[in-house]
Amino acid sequence: MRYLKTSEAAALLNVSPNTLRAWERRFGFPKPQRSPGKHRLFTHGEVAALRDALQEGLSISSAISRAREGLAADANSLVGALASYDRERADAAIEAALALRSVERSVEEVLLPTLDEISRRYSVESAAWAFAAHWATDWLRRATRLTPPPVRQVSIVIGDASRDELDRDAPYIRALELFCVRAGIKVLSLSARGVAGIGDAANVHRPNLVVVAGGHLDDDTVARWAYAIRLAVGAMPLAIYRRGAERPRTRGTGTTVLPSAAGDAQRTLLDLLESDHIAATPSASAAAAGARFQMRSARGQ
Amino acid sequence: MHGRSARNGRPALRLVATPELEPAPPSVLFCSHCGTRPFVSNKVSAAPSSRVCGECGLGLILEAGEDIAPHAGDAFLVLDRALSVCAMSRGAERLLAASEPDAVNRHITDLLMPADAEEEGGETLAVAVAWASRGDGGTRTTRVRPANTFGIRLTARIASCGPPRAALVVLE
Repeated sequence: MRYLKTSEAAALLNVSPNTLRAWERRFGFPKPQRSPGKHRLFTHGEVAALRDALQEGLSISSAISRAREGLAADANSLVGALASYDRERADAAIEAALALRSVERSVEEVLLPTLDEISRRYSVESAAWAFAAHWATDWLRRATRLTPPPVRQVSIVIGDASRDELDRDAPYIRALELFCVRAGIKVLSLSARGVAGIGDAANVHRPNLVVVAGGHLDDDTVARWAYAIRLAVGAMPLAIYRRGAERPRTRGTGTTVLPSAAGDAQRTLLDLLESDHIAATPSASAAAAGARFQMRSARGQ
Repeated sequence: MHGRSARNGRPALRLVATPELEPAPPSVLFCSHCGTRPFVSNKVSAAPSSRVCGECGLGLILEAGEDIAPHAGDAFLVLDRALSVCAMSRGAERLLAASEPDAVNRHITDLLMPADAEEEGGETLAVAVAWASRGDGGTRTTRVRPANTFGIRLTARIASCGPPRAALVVLE
């Protein structure tokens, strides 16, 4: 994936950097990522698609609309490949998306919307959904395995409370894992059903934060799992992700409700880890944050 | 033998003066969003270095005849041959209470309706746009009204513009 700085993207489009920023404000396109220093980074594929569209456009709006249509073709081709049970075509479609976008944006803009479309079109009880969910989970796990080792001194435990890989939330949970690993966070993902031996796992991993993800398991089961971790490593912040309708009783208990979009959830997690200063001193901060760990929310009180 | 070749008796070709044609109006460049005419010097528009308007940065530079080309602040639309909106000026955004990103790719009748029922001999909006987007010369005039408003009638002057070829609808 090739990224362009604002000046480079502006030069490619033959416009000024201010014009490029004005387009981002007015049209939301091209949509840059941010570097660690908060500078804009444009993907070369988007800028090149816009440059070609500008040559044949009658206005900036129509050119951007045309460039967006070209980029949306990746999602359509992935839907077609998965609906026709063609694994090779699906791999090719996501590779084509990766040529124009980062991994995160390919997942957020192509893979997850494709799964939503398939579940909407065929329902989650269909064979098409079973094939698509299995393929997506496999792809996300493979991408997670290929990610370089973590660079941050923070770790999280994700308690997977989804039903299985056919659960509509499962791909989102896998995407959150992938995004966290790519952000340099050490991630241990376990089923929230497995309470026995969870203390040993937590002692080895020493998490700074616990995420309960998925809405299939009931609150009592999840609370037992979280309590077992607390017994092993002490109190620590708790976040919940895609737990159904984001139960209102979690408000005011200190538990953080993560946004349902995987990218937003990852950014919220990073902010949470940095704002609580739990990255530097995990054990001390875990004790300080003990009051925030409200098991009542998980127990449903 | 007058007018015939002496060698084979076939009529000889000769140059004939063409009748006087009305010269086409000179074309000028303008921004498809703000209507600004860039780089005007000595009444001849020089080719801009970029297709993007340097004044507003939100429009592309198009070309049209000087008699129809809008000025800064004018209300105008650019339509393709399918009568879909391709560009909308800032003045048209104000006049029709619609933003360009929302209007682009919508059918013209979402924004403007023909109001030419009482006109005699005038072109209809669709015919005029079709002719202009095909690249036919000349300017046609018709009456329109905003799609969601009655009692207001606007004069629409329609002519060809581009590139690529499209119809320019200037509202007055």
